[in-house]
Amino acid sequence: MNAALDDLLNDQEPSASAIDAFIASQSFPLVDDNKITFVYRGTADQLLLRCWISGLNTAQPFERIESTDLWAVTIELPAGSRIEYKFERIANGQQELITDPLNPVLARDPFGANSVCQGSGYLRPDWSEPDNDAPTGRFESAQVNSTAFGGTRDIQIYLPARYRSQRRYPLLIVHDGFDYLQFAALGTVLDNLIHRLEIPQLIVACTQSPDRLREYAGDNRHAAFIREDLLEFMRREYPVIEESSATAIMGASFGGVAALHAAWRYPDVFGSLLLQSGSFAFTDLGHHKRGPVFDPVVAFMNEFRKNPGKPADKIYMCCGIYESLIYENRSLVPLLQRQKIDLLFEEARDAHNWENWRDRLRTGLSWLFPGPVWMVYE
Amino acid sequence: MPVQLLLGPQSPKPILGAVVAEHGLAKGPVAVISAAWQEAEGDIGELAEVVNAPLVNLQLYRRAERIFAEDPDLYRAYRRRQDRLMELQSLYRLRLRQGLQAARQVRRADAPPQLLRAEEEHAIGQVRALDRHHLKQVEHIFADVDADIRDNQSVASAREEIEAEINGCETVIITGGHVLVLLNRLQLFGLRPLLAARNLVAWSAGAMVLSDRVVLYHEEIPQRRRDPELLCTGLGIVPNHVLLPHASRRLRVIEDLRKRHYTIRFLPARCVTLDNGSVLRFDSGQLSLSHQVSYLRPDGTLAPLDVAANSEHKAPEGAP
Repeated sequence: MNAALDDLLNDQEPSASAIDAFIASQSFPLVDDNKITFVYRGTADQLLLRCWISGLNTAQPFERIESTDLWAVTIELPAGSRIEYKFERIANGQQELITDPLNPVLARDPFGANSVCQGSGYLRPDWSEPDNDAPTGRFESAQVNSTAFGGTRDIQIYLPARYRSQRRYPLLIVHDGFDYLQFAALGTVLDNLIHRLEIPQLIVACTQSPDRLREYAGDNRHAAFIREDLLEFMRREYPVIEESSATAIMGASFGGVAALHAAWRYPDVFGSLLLQSGSFAFTDLGHHKRGPVFDPVVAFMNEFRKNPGKPADKIYMCCGIYESLIYENRSLVPLLQRQKIDLLFEEARDAHNWENWRDRLRTGLSWLFPGPVWMVYE
Repeated sequence: MPVQLLLGPQSPKPILGAVVAEHGLAKGPVAVISAAWQEAEGDIGELAEVVNAPLVNLQLYRRAERIFAEDPDLYRAYRRRQDRLMELQSLYRLRLRQGLQAARQVRRADAPPQLLRAEEEHAIGQVRALDRHHLKQVEHIFADVDADIRDNQSVASAREEIEAEINGCETVIITGGHVLVLLNRLQLFGLRPLLAARNLVAWSAGAMVLSDRVVLYHEEIPQRRRDPELLCTGLGIVPNHVLLPHASRRLRVIEDLRKRHYTIRFLPARCVTLDNGSVLRFDSGQLSLSHQVSYLRPDGTLAPLDVAANSEHKAPEGAP
């Protein structure tokens, strides 16, 4: 257990004011090298830590510290790790999932917020935070007519600072782009990396599906929307370079499947892919156990694994080692390498969440679109 | 005799105006070479605000673009040369990575120190030989196209215009920016003799091209770490210095071994840092002032550059 907590408990029955002082003096959870102690103060019949780390039990029970209203549980977490968690509190037959009341650090996602545990050595990358020296790009909203789906789709277009319509720019298409902007600081990251010359100025088209679990799961209509509707719209309305080497597509989770699928359906269109924690489920034999929503994904991935072709010249892939998807992602690496694809694969001590994907953007984007930093000395 | 003032990056705190005034270099019109800014070459409004003298923008980038647009044959020859240089640089990079990795592995090997030292020096000697070979190859490629450029009437006319403009100026300011673009434009118009005869105030990339060897470096690139690469020869107006602008951001401070290899590899040149606030002054090719500048010592550590500190820079014995 944590030394400060031990000290507090050396006093057999610490007073309420001693507990108050202890809590006021610490940051939670308590981090000691590779040991993390989560603390809760309050009443409950049972308390569980829920942290969705593949390989560990999803629910870790807290122990109540005798004669106090404190609860604690300690887990091991390698240095440099970052995990998201909640507490499951059961009281009077009622169960609720809550964020850690003692930890102000939260990560938001489309489902709400999780508490964040930053293991020893983890630092949020400075390039993911606003930099006053970095000029900010601007956003335009547009609607794209979709022949593939019918109706229109809303998109957001990022134009870099000092954008000039006479110049031509590389294009990046982002699945779940609105979420990337909101939960992975994509706009800030682009501003900063462009300012640091680590990527060139580029135009980014952010898409957002109203039914991502269906449309992103290897759906041919979605691939047609990306290629025929969205890409043509961008080429018509914005000064983007049309060569495949300057056209990239990216996504996370099911968005990664959608990006790979679109590039596979339309080879030689997208020169580069950025795939984060792709839900690349497949089967070698028998049926998968991931639920019916994965059926079309597995069908596509099995087909892809049989006949991968060369969906892109360059691919950046990453996955958290605390995700169950790490197996599928690792399995894809030798297959892509056999196709002579220039591949960079990165593993992170993190899980399936937006801040993991945010923290990998610098390496991924600068891998796909190397900036002029090597040649520029301002 | 003209003087050369080499500065570090001009942000966040520009010192250009103060330095030019302090050294009395703005007594008449001042020429500006901002080709390293490429399309933004003409945006010298901020320079005009800090330099208290009329500015003459030599517009090397714009002139070159116009000539290339008017003379497709010349442009094709120029592009062919650039493509060959890029291919050569890739091959050099392949060999360089192996050579420096071997030197580092030797250094870390488990063997008697005296033996290790000799083997490491030899390994670095091979890298030095590779660097020399690379520069020769670059020169060959340049020579192939130089004749086309030398005989080109548009280039010759532009050079005459530039000469007329520069003749009215005692001082030339050369900005930082894209070092290869800058160097290409300076070489295209053959400006070395004109620049050597004038006071020069140059920062970052502008300073790098005045040296005899242009070394590209950045140890904080996000992936695929790259070793410092020789790009080509510079103008050689300030010889025997490898200039490292933005060192506080681009050099890792924790790995002395890698920097020890910088120091040995580029001998007898001295590797010096240029950060915001740095000033180096040369009179008749001799260093006469150093302010907020560090240099890499033979052991790979950084130390403030003292004008009198020359003694530690010798080529390693037996280096090929």
